[in-house]
Amino acid sequence: MRVLSRFGVPMLIYAFLIAMTIFALFPAFFVVQAAFRPGQSLYSLTLSLWPDHPTLDNFAYIFTKLPFPTWLRNSLGVSVGTMVAGLIGSASGAYALSRFRFAGKQMTLILLLAIQAFPSVLALIPIYLILKTIGLIGSPFGLVLAYMSIALVFCTWNLKGYFDTIPRELDEAALIDGCTVTQAFLRIILPLSLPALAVTALLMFLTAWNEWVMASVLLLDENTYTVPVGLWGLQNDYRVPWGYFASASLVVSVPVVILFLGLQRYFRSGLTVGGVKG
Amino acid sequence: MYRVKAWTTLTYLTPMIVGVGLISLYPILYNIFISVTNQNLYHFRHYSFIGLTNYQSLLKTVDADFFIVLARTVLFVAVCIPLFLVFGMLNALALNHPAVRFKAFWRVALIIPWAVPSYITAFVWKFFFNGEFGTLNQVYRVFAGAQAGLPWLSDPNWAFASVVIANLWMSYPFFMIVILGALQSIPSELYEAAAVDGAGGLRKFWRITLPLLRPAILPATVLSAILTFNTLNTAFLITQGGPFTSAAKPGATEFVMVYAFREAFQLFNFGYIAAFAVVIFAMLFGVTLGSLRFSGLVREEAR
Repeated sequence: MRVLSRFGVPMLIYAFLIAMTIFALFPAFFVVQAAFRPGQSLYSLTLSLWPDHPTLDNFAYIFTKLPFPTWLRNSLGVSVGTMVAGLIGSASGAYALSRFRFAGKQMTLILLLAIQAFPSVLALIPIYLILKTIGLIGSPFGLVLAYMSIALVFCTWNLKGYFDTIPRELDEAALIDGCTVTQAFLRIILPLSLPALAVTALLMFLTAWNEWVMASVLLLDENTYTVPVGLWGLQNDYRVPWGYFASASLVVSVPVVILFLGLQRYFRSGLTVGGVKG
Repeated sequence: MYRVKAWTTLTYLTPMIVGVGLISLYPILYNIFISVTNQNLYHFRHYSFIGLTNYQSLLKTVDADFFIVLARTVLFVAVCIPLFLVFGMLNALALNHPAVRFKAFWRVALIIPWAVPSYITAFVWKFFFNGEFGTLNQVYRVFAGAQAGLPWLSDPNWAFASVVIANLWMSYPFFMIVILGALQSIPSELYEAAAVDGAGGLRKFWRITLPLLRPAILPATVLSAILTFNTLNTAFLITQGGPFTSAAKPGATEFVMVYAFREAFQLFNFGYIAAFAVVIFAMLFGVTLGSLRFSGLVREEAR
């Protein structure tokens, strides 16, 4: 019994961890090997774990023969736009909700909660019809507006939550010493919240960067596609070598996976993030 | 909490209120408006008011699409969540075990599925499930012979299972991280005291670990249940909602959001699906409010 708990249990745990790691990493490994695999050789009936003749052709192809660089630029523009507008639009409101006492505050919070409970796919229907009426269908600007419908509410909740954890004594003392409310906000609260602002911003960036549903409905032209919409077109066509899709996936997701893993230290509770990653 | 002049409050709130009002709230209200019209592909500009007809056709019979899709989605959530919990729990317990070394390595390896964009997850698993070239059937053929193959995406039940597997892959790390964080905050004195009192490993788990994990697991479960209920990417991108056994009935993996997406953007039944959205939203908001009251968050917010 003693021997079992000394060696047997750790062995079992290691066996479990190894099995889980294979489950977790195999799909990622699969994309890597597919990216270096030439032509149509992935479409085979038998298993092959690594290409016989690895090549960089897929990467060369997506950057020179496909509008992939354009998609990358579009994704970058839309994501940065969403991130910046989301933060600027929500920071002062989040501060008011965290610190000011005013009539209708409870109502505002419940309303924000209700809006957040409205699934974005369902909100996409009226957003699509509205954008169509005002002629913004197919425009990246319209897409940013659609993303803002999620971003503003999310940023407001997230920042308010963080502002709430900053001791009230800090800004109240500043107010007693003659600071104006705006000075307290700009000189005390915002500098203390830099990490939270950065994490919120990056989460917004990731959400927009990885978003497929809204972009697939609101963008119509190959030249305005973001990466997810462009890649979906490639992947969905079995005549197109899957290697193009795999290599493009690597290019877009390796940076965001690293970013996500780096940010993960700052998720004070996984809950905040669970809400965004679709 | 301090009182400031009304116009100061207003200035601070304006950007957020105007933004949220115009691009979040207005579409929702507009959605309610569409739900009482017959706007669709044939009546796109010249639609008319039809009262509650959309709601009636939504809920008219027990075998209406609405109930089929809803029941299937609830089943999907009921299958997924226990799996997420068990996998998340086992991984967290393994990572928290004192005998395990290189914890940082295992942790990063096991969390990677969470970091992968969900549309890429969906594409990769769609390829795995492919009947001919799919990796799963390639492996299966090694054992079962060259002619064999499992109907991953062509059989309704297998397709349902396929979407569950893909969702499990991308969702268990969330529970793993939440549970791991809660495990690490349990004081070791409790276990030492229990050991002195003669409690074994299993008993410690049921009497100490599990009760103390509850406050972390409950909100995570509610949140994940709502997100799973709202599944679109994995189901739609892997199966398109299918396989379809009859043209008039929803497909085997046509969950609530897949149905809404297809009805709205492939069939353009805007009025009908707007009514669908209103009903689904009422249910989701009820669950959100209920779970918040349950966990005491609303009272805290009212402070």
